[in-house]
Amino acid sequence: MMFWRYAGRRLVQTVVTLFLLLTIMFVMFRLIPGDPTTMLLGTGELPPEAQQQLRAAWGLDRPMWEQYLSYLANLARGDLGLSLYFRRPVMEIVLPMLGNTLILMAPILVIALAVGIWAGAYLGWHRGERVEQIGSLIALLPRALPIFWIAILLLMLFSYRLGWFPIGGMREQFFYPETWIQALPGYDLVMHLTLPVIAGAIYFISDPLMITRTAMLEVRGEDYMQFARAQGLSNRRLRQIARRNAFLPVLTYIAIMVGFALGGQVLLEYVFSWPGMGRLMVNSVAQRDYPVAQATFFLMAAVVIVLNFIVDLLYGWLDPRIVYD
Amino acid sequence: MTDLAIAQTPSRRASVLGTIGSLIALPFRTWTGAIASVIFLTFCVIAVIGPWIAPYSPNANHFNAQGELLRLAAPSAAHWLGTTYYGSDVLSQLIVGTRIVVIVGLTCALFITLIGTNVGLISGYYGGRVDAVLMRITDLAFGIPFIPFAVVLVALLAPSTWNIILTISLLMWRTAARVIRSQVLSLKQRAFVKASQIAGASDLRIIYLHLFPNVLPMTMLYVAFDIAWAVIAEASVSFLGFGDPNQMSWGQMLYLAYLSGAIRHAWWWTIPPGVCLTLFVGSVFLIGREFEKLTNPKLA
Repeated sequence: MMFWRYAGRRLVQTVVTLFLLLTIMFVMFRLIPGDPTTMLLGTGELPPEAQQQLRAAWGLDRPMWEQYLSYLANLARGDLGLSLYFRRPVMEIVLPMLGNTLILMAPILVIALAVGIWAGAYLGWHRGERVEQIGSLIALLPRALPIFWIAILLLMLFSYRLGWFPIGGMREQFFYPETWIQALPGYDLVMHLTLPVIAGAIYFISDPLMITRTAMLEVRGEDYMQFARAQGLSNRRLRQIARRNAFLPVLTYIAIMVGFALGGQVLLEYVFSWPGMGRLMVNSVAQRDYPVAQATFFLMAAVVIVLNFIVDLLYGWLDPRIVYD
Repeated sequence: MTDLAIAQTPSRRASVLGTIGSLIALPFRTWTGAIASVIFLTFCVIAVIGPWIAPYSPNANHFNAQGELLRLAAPSAAHWLGTTYYGSDVLSQLIVGTRIVVIVGLTCALFITLIGTNVGLISGYYGGRVDAVLMRITDLAFGIPFIPFAVVLVALLAPSTWNIILTISLLMWRTAARVIRSQVLSLKQRAFVKASQIAGASDLRIIYLHLFPNVLPMTMLYVAFDIAWAVIAEASVSFLGFGDPNQMSWGQMLYLAYLSGAIRHAWWWTIPPGVCLTLFVGSVFLIGREFEKLTNPKLA
């Protein structure tokens, strides 16, 4: 019973947070000097009457609160407005990009989490040994490397110097397979994916690794581990117990990381010209296409907030010791 | 977030100055910490004296004997790290760019710590409604993806170093606030806080003279990590082309190198800024790790 009350309260909080975020963004994008009509019209090339007409058509002559209410009403119907640059509904532009971002991020997250958790558990278990000391130091390095620099180095070496992989984008414009390997389904996509995925995996690996390592260290000192050891269980079995118990903090982190990965891939997509949400956002900000910028930004934030909510629930469900207050 | 324990025994007598003194000496106790501190201090010194030791002006255009612009010249005696696509000296840009990186790192860390520590202290100490409101704001800050937010805000505010600092500070206080609040929650149950309350000490006095010195080690840990994140954030925003166009920074250098297509072969232009960024951020991380050992002895 306690759990459902907690879940209900967290749900309300999540909705309120999303709502606040929408409001902040609405205000933020309207603080810009000038309005979209000035961008549409260029520098005063159209007569003022035409501009007035446009403002009325876009609803920009109405008071701010009215605009806000209609914005919310449209949003509730899934209508995010029109792109000023593409002159098409925002949703039509953003959704395919969201798909492309997922194609890029899914392998990155799977690799980073699998390798990171495995290596973290290994290092945590071999605490104090030489392999652990050197390993943890190496593991810290990717955290200090800026992701866009890792990406540039990979591009320099594997695309420009060795010519093994394409320099960017998602697909070749006119791709004709010449050998049977190239004729395999998805060959072109995989070639385009390889470098960005390596760059992303290197960058995202250290956090799950360090968290698993710390969790492992904490579990090792627990009483039940002493007890298990005293029972004479095999080293293998001890490790299994430790790993399972160390997983909880790692789980929380996975959701946070998935959220951040979806919001933080901007740089990766930019370097590799990947047609995803992050690059779309940077371009639309640069082109002053605010409806699109607003939509991409909100989607990225919403993912983080919703994932946090799901994890809070999962956490309570998995660890019965947690008390809801 | 794991709840970290304080190593030293909390006490009423902990003095702010004494704690700071021992904290500064701390990273020198291990060899990794000592190397990291030396690297960090070297960058700080270069930041101060940079314009005097740089061989050329960072934006000066250099010409060859035929009077042509010296585009993408490989490293030579005259230009140790070669020249850029625009005929400028890479080494000079690297040296002068250090200043902006150090300024952004330190200023952001200061702002983040000021906001984060105060939010944490007030939220934890007062509890109740104050706590609820402040923590909901913190949750909101956690929900905002950082780089996209920085890009949007800097673009709206016009690209300048101050706007980048402002943007970074506006979001990054969130972690410090949450961790310091959890510290204060346990500290305020201790006898010395209860005793001061009974003795009639004002809330402000308890917060800043009794609680603050005890959360200082934790604060220092976050100062170190905040410097690192702030520097990476500035480099990222600059790399995306939203940096201050009039200020040379390492991120700006990489942006120009990428934009001009020089990453094809001009390794002397793309490798050094990245190496400097990595050295700087890495050294700050390692210093932070020494503080982490103090606050969480299980890691030591």
